[in-house]
Amino acid sequence: MFQLDELQHDALVELFNQGVGQAAAAMSQIVHEEVTMSVPLITFQSRAEVAQELGGPEARRICAVTQTYQGAFNTEAMLMFPEEKSLEIVRLMVGQSVTMEELSEMEQEAMSEIGNIILNSCMSTLANIAGKELHGSLPIYRIGTSDQILGSSDNQWSGMVLTLKIDFNIEKHEINGYVAFLLDTTALHDLQAYLQQYLSGLMP
Amino acid sequence: MSNAKTTTILVVDDSRVSRLLSRQFILHNHPDWIIEEAVTGEEAVTKLSSISPDLILLDVNMPGMGGLAAVVKLREISPEIPICLMTANVQDATREKAHNLGVQFAEKPITQARIDHVIAQLENA
Repeated sequence: MFQLDELQHDALVELFNQGVGQAAAAMSQIVHEEVTMSVPLITFQSRAEVAQELGGPEARRICAVTQTYQGAFNTEAMLMFPEEKSLEIVRLMVGQSVTMEELSEMEQEAMSEIGNIILNSCMSTLANIAGKELHGSLPIYRIGTSDQILGSSDNQWSGMVLTLKIDFNIEKHEINGYVAFLLDTTALHDLQAYLQQYLSGLMP
Repeated sequence: MSNAKTTTILVVDDSRVSRLLSRQFILHNHPDWIIEEAVTGEEAVTKLSSISPDLILLDVNMPGMGGLAAVVKLREISPEIPICLMTANVQDATREKAHNLGVQFAEKPITQARIDHVIAQLENA
């Protein structure tokens, strides 16, 4: 069973804290509102368990933007919102100058771009801290239950995954979403090496 | 930047909403400027045979020819046109590549302040 020691665990939370801090700032610039984010919650689960947790007991439908990153470590990064909040977020982004019809037309593209900005903002911070480059794919937008979204991912991961889940909140509009980073077993060992290298750089 | 003709900006981005925001923010302070759009790097390269923009705003992460590859092609055609990469990929490695290519670099999300800054740099060049 894969395990991080206490120092590595702390470093992981701290690094993603900095990453999501940047992501929150980017999100705030997009929606022109204050965005708060939780401390990353790290879990080690199967994909099915992750889907169950993200979907909640009512298996609510969500919209998700996913991007895969490769480099120092490989991960699938996901930005998720309740489906019914998607248009509201796009409206906050583009303002009142576009019609409702135009807004609906551009919803998918706009959400992809929002995901691209948020996820890249976070991953760029992680890359810069460690002085490593991470190569991201183009964003993919999906709507469905968390089961459908996690199950439909184009990847070979069937085992346990490490999940970093971060809740964020646009309070004035009562919009809650979350960002998750999934790493499979191979990626976990690369992540561990990445963390160890980061920690070694901190030691005198 | 010449005052003799109307300033033209070419916005290259696969995201329609990003093109819309760039257009909005440019026209907010320069309502008489002409905004041309391209959805891909390839389309931007083709467009340069028919237009001569004063500035190219170029997304990095696009399907097909990405922004960094597009810079090389665009430079081959019109080396004098200033280019600014607009990207959420704010990795040091990407900044360095932009620097090595001699192009400006601006972070996404696209905001009024960022567009104003890019244009001010162009006007002061």
